[in-house]
Amino acid sequence: MKPFNPRAVELAAPKQQRNWDWRAAANFICGGSGGGLLLVAAFAGLDAFATRVAVLLGLALIACGLTCVWFEIGRPWRAMNVYRHFATSWMTREAVVALAVFATGALAIFTGSVVLTVVVGACGLAFLYSQARILAANKGIPAWRHPASVPLMVSTGLAEGAGFAISAAALAGAGPGTRLLGLLLVLLAVRVWCWRRFLGGLTRSGAPVAALKVLDAFGPRFQTVGHGLPAVVLVAALIGLPGRSMTALLAGLLVVASGWVMKYTLVRRAAYTQGLAVDHLPVRGRGPSGPAAKPGWKMMPGGS
Amino acid sequence: MEAAQPKSVKRVPSYCYNCVSGPDLMNVKVVDGVATEIEPNFAAADVHPAKGRVCVKAYGLVQKTYNPNRISTPMKRTNPKKGRNEDPGFVPISWDEALDIVAGKLKAVRAKGLLDEAGLPRVAVSLGHGGTPSNYMGTFPAFLAAWGDVDFSFGSGQGVKCVHSEHLYGEFWHRGFTVASDTPNARYVIAVGANVDVTGGPCAVTRHADARVRGYKRVQVEPHLSATGACSAEWVPIRPKTDPAFLFALIHVLVRENGLQKLDIPFLRDRTASPYLVAPDGLYLRDPHSGKPLVWDENSASAVAHDTPGAKPAVAGCYRVGKAVVVDADKERREYSEVEGKTAYEMLSEHIEKYSPEWAETICDVKAATIRRIANEYLEAASIGETITIDGKTLPLRPVSVTLGKSVNNGWGAFECCWARTVLAALVGSLENPGGLVGTTVRLNKSRDNRHLSVAPGEDGFMVQYFNPTSKEEWQQSPSTRNLHQTLVPIVGANGAWSQALGPTQLAWMFQNERPDDWSMPMPTLPEVWLVYRSNPSISFWDTRHLAETVARFPFMACFAYTVDETNYMADVLLPEATDLESTQMIRMGGTKYMEQFWDHKGVVLRAKAVEPQGEARDFTWITTELARRTGLLEPYVKAINKGISGVSPLQGEGYDFRLDPATPPSSEQVWDAVCRAATRTMSEGREEHDLKWFEENGFYTVPMSRLEWYLTPTMEQHGLRYELPYQERLMRAGRELGRRLHEKKMNWWDEQLSEYTALPEWHDVPGRWIRNLEKSGAKAADFPFWLLTTKSMQYHAGGNAAIEVMHEVAQNLRGHAGVIMNAKTAASLGIAEGDRIEVRSHIGATYGKAALVQGVRPDTLVIIGQFDHWATPFARTMEAPSLNSIAPMSLDLTDATGSGADIVRVAVRRMEGRAAA
Amino acid sequence: MTRYVMTIDLRRCVGCQTCTAACKGANATPPGIQWRRVLDIESGEFPDVRRTFLPVACMHCGDPPCEHVCPTRATTKRADGLVAIDYDLCIGCANCVMACPYDARSIVHEPRYAYGDSPMASEAKRFDPARIGVSMKCTFCKDRIDHAERTGKVPGVDPEVTPACVNSCISGAMGFGDIDDPESSVNKLLAETQHFRMHEELGTEPGVYYVWDMS
Repeated sequence: MKPFNPRAVELAAPKQQRNWDWRAAANFICGGSGGGLLLVAAFAGLDAFATRVAVLLGLALIACGLTCVWFEIGRPWRAMNVYRHFATSWMTREAVVALAVFATGALAIFTGSVVLTVVVGACGLAFLYSQARILAANKGIPAWRHPASVPLMVSTGLAEGAGFAISAAALAGAGPGTRLLGLLLVLLAVRVWCWRRFLGGLTRSGAPVAALKVLDAFGPRFQTVGHGLPAVVLVAALIGLPGRSMTALLAGLLVVASGWVMKYTLVRRAAYTQGLAVDHLPVRGRGPSGPAAKPGWKMMPGGS
Repeated sequence: MEAAQPKSVKRVPSYCYNCVSGPDLMNVKVVDGVATEIEPNFAAADVHPAKGRVCVKAYGLVQKTYNPNRISTPMKRTNPKKGRNEDPGFVPISWDEALDIVAGKLKAVRAKGLLDEAGLPRVAVSLGHGGTPSNYMGTFPAFLAAWGDVDFSFGSGQGVKCVHSEHLYGEFWHRGFTVASDTPNARYVIAVGANVDVTGGPCAVTRHADARVRGYKRVQVEPHLSATGACSAEWVPIRPKTDPAFLFALIHVLVRENGLQKLDIPFLRDRTASPYLVAPDGLYLRDPHSGKPLVWDENSASAVAHDTPGAKPAVAGCYRVGKAVVVDADKERREYSEVEGKTAYEMLSEHIEKYSPEWAETICDVKAATIRRIANEYLEAASIGETITIDGKTLPLRPVSVTLGKSVNNGWGAFECCWARTVLAALVGSLENPGGLVGTTVRLNKSRDNRHLSVAPGEDGFMVQYFNPTSKEEWQQSPSTRNLHQTLVPIVGANGAWSQALGPTQLAWMFQNERPDDWSMPMPTLPEVWLVYRSNPSISFWDTRHLAETVARFPFMACFAYTVDETNYMADVLLPEATDLESTQMIRMGGTKYMEQFWDHKGVVLRAKAVEPQGEARDFTWITTELARRTGLLEPYVKAINKGISGVSPLQGEGYDFRLDPATPPSSEQVWDAVCRAATRTMSEGREEHDLKWFEENGFYTVPMSRLEWYLTPTMEQHGLRYELPYQERLMRAGRELGRRLHEKKMNWWDEQLSEYTALPEWHDVPGRWIRNLEKSGAKAADFPFWLLTTKSMQYHAGGNAAIEVMHEVAQNLRGHAGVIMNAKTAASLGIAEGDRIEVRSHIGATYGKAALVQGVRPDTLVIIGQFDHWATPFARTMEAPSLNSIAPMSLDLTDATGSGADIVRVAVRRMEGRAAA
Repeated sequence: MTRYVMTIDLRRCVGCQTCTAACKGANATPPGIQWRRVLDIESGEFPDVRRTFLPVACMHCGDPPCEHVCPTRATTKRADGLVAIDYDLCIGCANCVMACPYDARSIVHEPRYAYGDSPMASEAKRFDPARIGVSMKCTFCKDRIDHAERTGKVPGVDPEVTPACVNSCISGAMGFGDIDDPESSVNKLLAETQHFRMHEELGTEPGVYYVWDMS
């Protein structure tokens, strides 16, 4: 066996988390979209068939995400233990909500009930919110624990949901309605606002240099490709330029894809741990003390 | 934590002596017959300075025991060709066959005679790191004693990896084979490369931690920020190998800027040769009748013999002496009348004038103001006049010292450093006084267990010394060992158990290949039988590629083998011995031993067999007894055991007789049972007797010891003796005589080394020697702009545990392990990033490793931790770690007068192609 | 009340990794898994450089974020302050690994041995299948603390009920004891020194105190 070779210099600094790989990321990616889609489906004014398709798609997305996670956890055959800590664990809550999502979702598809669709939508929102809180509860990852990550995750889930709804409607041939297009435009605005608020807040409150580097590099692309471009396309569709279905589809896919890339970036690439730090360098004999050392962070006044 | 409930759990007391800073105490936890954990032995908390704790290395012993890469049966070589590229084709054989092969070779040697045609022993033995093997090799010393002449010349690093000049000069000046600060009382320590928090073992680490919390100040003077530097109050990044200049400047500040009145005048006057009058020719002025050195008696205003009762010798000044003689080399006597004699202190004062801090700044790259401040802090902290009472005796308290580290106190410049730091101690009276600089053991003198017993009056009011003779009649002109220790190094002597092994070990290796043109002694031969234990010179010496080629030429080699390694790859027979946890042995502990092992107790400790040996590995004592029996040496071997060789004390003494029958091969248990009983009888002065069984349960036995035993000065005072400082007349004469002998034999190849024999050391561009050496070999100095140094690692220390996975794992938490430490700015200027694979090239070869970029190293210096570059040792060979040893040359030019060298070489560095490894 | 805490005197620590190795031995952690280690942190620029040795492990927080997020209640904070993991409940979701701001937790999905694919006798003897695929971390040597409960011995005073790392520390940097006991040695040390707790601003109330100067 080749010897284990970490580098001492990297041990104290924030490290990219290695425990949640693409499978965990897939849960946030698919599950968030699914939850958002369920909510949007309830209020998007789709016809009954499209609503059923949308709900089904939403459930499928959530199921896909949870399946990925199931494959990731160390002890999949005890997965039911996940229900043991509703009091404080957002993962437990997510799992509980997932049950509600699937139960009400199945009923809604089966019955076509508008009321149930609204209930499913509420459950979808709850699922989305739970996921956002799962991330935010992780104090070990500064980019996640920032409070502004919650609205960001929720807003992107909703935007992706709307994107899916529009794409579904476009593919169904019916073509998305103005209400849905307008909703997506609004959600895009909200998402970009949440993103800027998140990144600005994170930069101000401090985060591992490596995490900020990833996010700073990602930001402009996210804003341009994920927001500017679909907004232009949406506006074009709204003002009645020809090929509305195709442009709406394009806009929807751009919103979904950019959201997914953003979540992958957040869950994987920018997910640097807190790292370890010394508040005061120790006094050795009659030597001096010293200022704090926090490898991998830009030292900020007042910060530690 | 065990999955299954254990049926039996026991804790077996033992010791760790994997480095020279041992022994430390531990327990082995054994679950159902399997060793599972190492734990401290808190039963020793009250007697052991580190409270019964062992360092990190001991925690690798469980893996060491069960390492699947161990040699588990005796093996013999099937490929007669030897070399790095020759698969030895080792095949398992029985112990009978293995022992018969080795004994057969030994018997053949005995039949021919122990010495060969060159007068050199036909049998050579190499034992590894710093005497540690003797704590694991059972009764093997008794076998060697029974055998007779053995050549210990083929070192695995002694002389070049140890603190060689400190061993020799430390023992010469103050019976300090190893020298330490009296840390429990210290207030100010200038550590020049002394990496005590890494190499000093738990005792040193504990004590220095206590001292830090107490508020002592340690100034670390070293080119890189070692762990010890990190834990010091101040780091002074000195230019490599310029330490003598720094220390000379400290003396300058004390002597020239502060002056005698601020120094410890009584100590200088009564305990040193400072008052001895020196003639203009540099020799002591002596009484014409008695031949005793003269001092100027301030009471009678006349020159009198140094030991004249009631005299008050003047420490400083020039005095006119009516009649006197000097005695030069070969006892040549010259008479003087009305001659001006300067005191030795005066000579020092004049000598040191030119070595000001401003001068030193240009050499050392340390600001003059810093040097001056440190010197003055040292003087102030010395608190001259303060006293301390220990066990009812009032002694001076001088809580300052200068300690030296590897590569500072060996190789060129080391004599100067050892001299300067000992003089610095003498100037303030801290030499061998509480709080000051203490020697902790002797190895070149007897008794090795009590250095005070080695103090006896010798010549000129100094301690007795046992130099190798340099007179025309007695000089050993035909070397008796392959490292020429008696021929070339007077100071190493031939009196102590270690004298031979501390000769110029690289000469033994170098001269196998080529000799100087004007060599006029018998050609060195290869030993017919070479026995190796815990030693891997093919990794741990220099120019290791060529050294391994030399090893391949040895005609017969038997190695006690743990795993295959780079040296035993060339062996003919491998003998797997039971390792640390698998065999039994008793050794001394406490008292005063190496490094900072000076205790308030002394006693003995048993390494009890905790688990059965793996495979066919056998207890070393059993192997040795079998070898003795098969070579027909059973009787002298058992008698040697009875004399106390290999044990602790003789097996027969006042009121007891545990001697073994010389006609019967004793079992290991019989041997150690007798040793246990004799040891306790001796230690307790007959009051107590404990057998092996008692020790297997209790581990150790101690009796209290007075702290007064830590300090030699009271003993010197008792004998009315002076330390041979600051003036080195005896060494100067010895050098002159040695030069004459060599020149009489038409040999000039040692002339450069003879320049070291001076009464007062001069600065001689020490680092320049390495630059000139590479230029001499045809390389351009500008092509090798960096210094490469090594530093030790507590996890590996000398590296005998490089095959142990857990040591590698935990060592990686510290920067630079298995890499090349370099200054981040320097690296940036060379386009080298953290983790890049780099080539470090000297004029003889290259070594490769990953760059470890730090701020805590001089921009002109690279550092490689430890000694790796393994190519045969399982596990270690996968580390891809670089090593200075692969690229440091062995050269007469780089060998000092003691026969020592230093771990330093000029190198170039470049990034290898390809992206940085993750 | 009892709350066991650890004190680490950074003035003493020399970075030797004895505690790291002792922990690996005491807890039989597989290669590459260190429930505790000593970090080697450099700060400043040549020649004004400092190197600090920082022992880190689970901080046994008063308000452990790992416990909050754990969906299975495998992670619990005990009445005596120890944060414990029930390996039989844990599903290995790694949420706690993400929640811990001290890099203290790890999950091993397959058995690992020091030398290749087969365990040595010492590894085989101690291999615990329950620890595969679940979250692991420093336990403050829980079994020893539990033993104290049964025997009346005092953690931090009696070695057999004191964490292995504390016992092993050759510089005497580590202490252990009940911070709610005014007579405990940890309390006395903290009273006479200046100290900090890491990332205290995160509200975790860590149970490890780092001493850096006298008070």
